[in-house]
Amino acid sequence: MRLLVGLINGMIAGATPILLAALGGAFTYYAGIFNIAMEGMMLAGAFGAVVGSYFLHSWVLGIVLSIAFALVLALIFILFSVVLHTDEFVTGIALNLFAVGATTYLMRQTFNVKGVFANEGIIPIPRLDIPLIEQIPFLGEVLSGQNLMVYIAVIAVIAVNFLIFRTRFGMRLRAAGYNAACLDSSGVSTARMRTAALLLCAVLCGLAGAFLSLGYVTLFAENMSAGRGWISLAAIILVSGNPTGIAVISLLFGFSDGLGLLLQDYRVPSQFTSMVPYVATLIALYFYSVKERKRKA
Amino acid sequence: MIDDVIRLENIVKVYPPSVVAVDNVSVSFRKGEIHAVVGENGAGKSTLMKVLYGLVPRDGGEIYYQDRPVHFRQAGEAIAAGIGMVHQEILLIPEYTVWQNIVLGQEPTRFLGQVDTARARRLVKQKIDEFQFNLDPDALVGEISVAARQKVEILKLLYRNVSVLILDEPTAVLTPQEIPQLFGELGRLRDDGHTILFISHRLEEVLTLSDRVTVMRRGKKIDTVDAKTTSKEELARMMVGRDVVLTSQRREHAPGEVIFETEHLSYKDGEGRQKLNDINLTVRAGEIVGVAGVEGNGQFELVNAVVGLIQPSGGTIRVQGRDITRAPILERRRLISFVPQDRGRMGASLNASILENAIMTHHSLDQNFSRWHGLLLDYAHARRFTDGLEKQFSVAMASKFNPFRSLSGGNQQKVILGRELLLDSVFVLLDQPTRGLDVGSIEYVHQQVLRMRDENRAVLLVSADLEELFLLADRIVVMHRGELVADSPVGQTSLEEVGYRMLEGRGEPR
Repeated sequence: MRLLVGLINGMIAGATPILLAALGGAFTYYAGIFNIAMEGMMLAGAFGAVVGSYFLHSWVLGIVLSIAFALVLALIFILFSVVLHTDEFVTGIALNLFAVGATTYLMRQTFNVKGVFANEGIIPIPRLDIPLIEQIPFLGEVLSGQNLMVYIAVIAVIAVNFLIFRTRFGMRLRAAGYNAACLDSSGVSTARMRTAALLLCAVLCGLAGAFLSLGYVTLFAENMSAGRGWISLAAIILVSGNPTGIAVISLLFGFSDGLGLLLQDYRVPSQFTSMVPYVATLIALYFYSVKERKRKA
Repeated sequence: MIDDVIRLENIVKVYPPSVVAVDNVSVSFRKGEIHAVVGENGAGKSTLMKVLYGLVPRDGGEIYYQDRPVHFRQAGEAIAAGIGMVHQEILLIPEYTVWQNIVLGQEPTRFLGQVDTARARRLVKQKIDEFQFNLDPDALVGEISVAARQKVEILKLLYRNVSVLILDEPTAVLTPQEIPQLFGELGRLRDDGHTILFISHRLEEVLTLSDRVTVMRRGKKIDTVDAKTTSKEELARMMVGRDVVLTSQRREHAPGEVIFETEHLSYKDGEGRQKLNDINLTVRAGEIVGVAGVEGNGQFELVNAVVGLIQPSGGTIRVQGRDITRAPILERRRLISFVPQDRGRMGASLNASILENAIMTHHSLDQNFSRWHGLLLDYAHARRFTDGLEKQFSVAMASKFNPFRSLSGGNQQKVILGRELLLDSVFVLLDQPTRGLDVGSIEYVHQQVLRMRDENRAVLLVSADLEELFLLADRIVVMHRGELVADSPVGQTSLEEVGYRMLEGRGEPR
């Protein structure tokens, strides 16, 4: 039983950052932007969160700063790909590399450490105990006591679903991706919809980053997003952007993450256990391509 | 005049450097009329409408809408003022339903910015019923017919309360059975007080549908006439013009044996439309056969079937007695020289060097280009070959290693023509070889075409330019909706007759 609860909680913790980033990416996916910058936005967010939390002594301000840092990347993305029409893929790569370099440099400059910055002064995002539910055996241990960001992620799934499929904003957003010329000729600026999508994406990636450095662990490590932004991109593409589908896929990746951690207890070398999420990505891609081929035939 | 809703005065549009697309055109459109604008391809009718709609900036003239001068800069402004245009390429979102497409951009909303689905559907249903459009508002646009999509485009504009509708060749994408339905709907719109401007080159439709007709030729307005008091013949004459055919420099000689031959050639496209229907065509050695026709009547498919880019659904193609209907393209190119209509896309690679473009096809057909059994290219030979081509066809180029795009249009065509003529082929297929060229280059191409004839090659020349056909061809065939509707020696036909066949097919003159 203990093992199962541990595995489930590991899965939830592993899924949350991927889920938040992928929900952000869903906006840009539907708006017709090939956005690969989730990785960089998440990393910038993680760094911003630690800076805010450590210097301003508040996890709330940490989250605010994480969103702000991610938004800076989004604004650069908007300047280049929406305004100047550069290639989205190249812009995204540049931003991701920029985020790694900038956060590493800034961490060494601000905190005078290399590799990892961990400090008592970093205030983590609290866990949330839900009364009544926490009393229920087993269920209570899973549903209650999770990090605040986990609950935000669950709400985000519902909100993103609503925004994309029920509202006027969502209808225009998807139109921008389906047929930009049609949207423009209907009197709505495609560029404006794409800008909005990128800003929303940055907000969610910022939250994902904040969870990484103030929730999952309480520290900032160089390149700590460790490919989660790419995995979130894989999740989006696998389910064609559908938020509910993203949630399911994220849990799957989270599970493999948790499994990796569990395997470490059984003396599997950590080099192999940390491969698990990426191997899972490849396996998922394989099944996806098989499904696609069947659909086309 | 009070009931003129739109007046265009002295509109001029020049495409740089020197193509006058619309030349000082003045025309007015009345409230509640269906007004057709007719003319051949390139007559300037589409450009004129785009100028009015604000898609193309004008270089001169004034536009008055409801007696006020207007200057639309983008489509949104024209729609807001009450003028809407349905383009030839339909701009809709296949993933959305009919009602979603119609309301996009002006969606009714409820709390939290939700689309008010019920109200949107009701509004759309109302418009559909009001004009008896026979559409299901909940159908996915990707799953309805082209005709229905066109209706959605029209409804999208009506939903925005436009009073003037511009339709760019609306019948071009419709089947004959769908056309009367569209006309019924357009008639009801007119009776409702809408003004409909209708671009077409199908005279029969124009006469049945419209109240007045404006004829354009080469950027100029020829006349505006009442549809009731004119005839197809009169319109055709105005459209094609009576310009004198220049005397040809063709030397008389008798054509030889049959080189190129199609038998019952047919082709259906992916959507089941019969693009080629039972084409029987022969070209003899030393003979130029001209293919006339309004664009989109199967010429493109005919060319592609001969070259091997599409697989015909029936019939055979023979060159020099060899059945090449299913032969691979390289095999065909031993027999066929081919000058495609799109220089930049099919005729050449713009980014490759002039030399690389010059030796294309040759390098794999001619053993002299290969060393070590095709493993290496003999660049010395390629250079000699390109130098020869440069001299023989008087191409003006800085260096043969420059990219192809650095050449002017005329010189690009010279390289392509030279490359194709240097192939040792018996049959030459030319698709719009002078399109977009200046007068001097056109003359050069014409000389080369006649030279091929003197060399006793069989030439099939597809052209939208009737004068060019009359200048060069020994025999003219006319394509109309995928069929050959006329085939006569050039001496036994006239510009008027060919023009009439292009528009009306086999039908007898009234």
